[in-house]
Amino acid sequence: MLNATILGQVFVNGVSLSAIYILVALGFTLLFGIMRVVNFAHGEFAMLGAFALFYLMKTLEWHWAFALPVGVIGVAAASLVLEWLVFRWFYQRMFESMIGLLGLNMMMMFGAVQLWDVHERNIPTMSGDVLMMGDIIIPVDRLIVVIIALTALAGFYLFIRHTRAGLAMRAAAQDLETAETQGVDTRRTYKIAFFVAILLAALAGALWGQIYAVSPFLGERPLLMAFIVVILGGMGSIPGAALGGVLLGFTESFVGTFYGAAASAFLSFGVVILLLIVRPWGILGTPEN
Amino acid sequence: MSARKWIIALIATVALLGWPWLTEDKFLHHVGVLICLTSIAACSLHLIIRTGHVSLCHTAFMGFGAYGSVISVMQFGLPWPVGLLIGTALAAGVAAIIGPIVLRLTGKYFVLITFLMGEVVRMAIIENTAITGGSNGIFNVPPPFPFLTSNRAYYYFALAFAVFGVGLCARILTSEFGRAINAIREGERLAECSGVPVIRFKVIVFVIACALAGMTGSLQGHYIKFVGPDAYSGFQSLNLVVMNVIGGMTSLAGALIGTVFMVTLPELLRGYVNLQQIMFGAILFATMAFLPGGIIEAIRRIRALLKPSKPGLAT
Repeated sequence: MLNATILGQVFVNGVSLSAIYILVALGFTLLFGIMRVVNFAHGEFAMLGAFALFYLMKTLEWHWAFALPVGVIGVAAASLVLEWLVFRWFYQRMFESMIGLLGLNMMMMFGAVQLWDVHERNIPTMSGDVLMMGDIIIPVDRLIVVIIALTALAGFYLFIRHTRAGLAMRAAAQDLETAETQGVDTRRTYKIAFFVAILLAALAGALWGQIYAVSPFLGERPLLMAFIVVILGGMGSIPGAALGGVLLGFTESFVGTFYGAAASAFLSFGVVILLLIVRPWGILGTPEN
Repeated sequence: MSARKWIIALIATVALLGWPWLTEDKFLHHVGVLICLTSIAACSLHLIIRTGHVSLCHTAFMGFGAYGSVISVMQFGLPWPVGLLIGTALAAGVAAIIGPIVLRLTGKYFVLITFLMGEVVRMAIIENTAITGGSNGIFNVPPPFPFLTSNRAYYYFALAFAVFGVGLCARILTSEFGRAINAIREGERLAECSGVPVIRFKVIVFVIACALAGMTGSLQGHYIKFVGPDAYSGFQSLNLVVMNVIGGMTSLAGALIGTVFMVTLPELLRGYVNLQQIMFGAILFATMAFLPGGIIEAIRRIRALLKPSKPGLAT
């Protein structure tokens, strides 16, 4: 059963899963690295992104190339209200943030149930075509998902590396007080970081909703995956999130295909638990004092 | 104890023993049972929290207790007391194995690893359909004793266990050992330098707490006559943490207050499950943001406000 066709499919699968996991995990690790906030509500923003795309594409019948950016940016902009109402109270308070944001997670999840009911919906596909590369069949919508995700990742990298706001973020993450004395407006930096993190989460959610289905409980899995990715790579480390995402995405697609979803879940959880015991700061992270 | 404390204790005893006879409402008796059982779980988690670790897999140990007990009673035909012991021992045994490993982690890493372990336990329950009944769970669990059929009778049964469980926690916390626990939380290095065997004490506390959780699991499974994976998920563990947080994490009384609050509120809001979850979320967020000390802290503050300020003391 092991031939090039299946391996090719599994590879394509692995790339698209990895890309989505990295998107979710990047926002998660950004919030942790800069504000010391463990965002247990991160998956819910992915859920909002998926619902936004669903409404724009299904109800308003927009084209995806238009609906996706509008929906994702809309969710991120609207979430700034939550930043003001909820998140700002938890900056630099790691323990309180964990439990308080679990509360927010519950509120958003069951608020969504109240609004949209529990049944699953399907977002219209971006494209029904398939691309043949030799024996390997690549659905075009998967390809679009991968391209969008990779573009977003590249954009994020450029933003963090080559803009003043990105520089301010890296400075704040490294040493908050020194950054402040050097004139970094941390309040503003926090807002930008929050916006970017939610943008990535909402995008990941929308792409996730493209591949699977949309429901108020959509956020649970991305959150769990973000956890695993971030612990694998190291909390607060951006390259770590990328590495963790690739590891998890490919593990899930390979082990999941050949041994079943339960085996892949047990394997990834087991590896993460072992890693936490041996090297809690992750593969690319740095130990804290 | 002063005379006033004796009187309070007497009133509390009479109230706890007497109230079920004031009403014939079975539902209220049911809430009473739930409060008794949940208080053991919440207080045992409080023990772990007092060592400075927030465990998100405490209900997984309730699951070990419940499944251990239910399977020994239903499949092997053992009497319930033996089942209870097996369930409790199973929970304690698992805790004794993983405790020395995971208790070396602190803060967020402990929270994360327990969260994942809870998920692993839940997945294991779902996957091992042959033993655990998978996601459907096990139905028609017999009561511990044939005469424990009415809710009122079970209330007294559960109350006895609650007095034992909560009393054990209180005794531990007020002993010299309890002071060592506080020392470990406040300054692990310092405690170690002062001769407290930190890891060993943490493991002892963890094992005792998980054993109590296992006991609760057995009592609960045989009371609601059903065990299933959802009752032992991370979500339920979180509920136990919430009870501790809302009540106040610095005292056992806080855990008790939180339990009463968190058990009665959903039972009274039965028809509005969604709104109830949204409200819990809001309470959780608001408590963590504005009142990390919980209800106990609020009471303390109000009392400080009501007390006439002493002259000459700057406020």
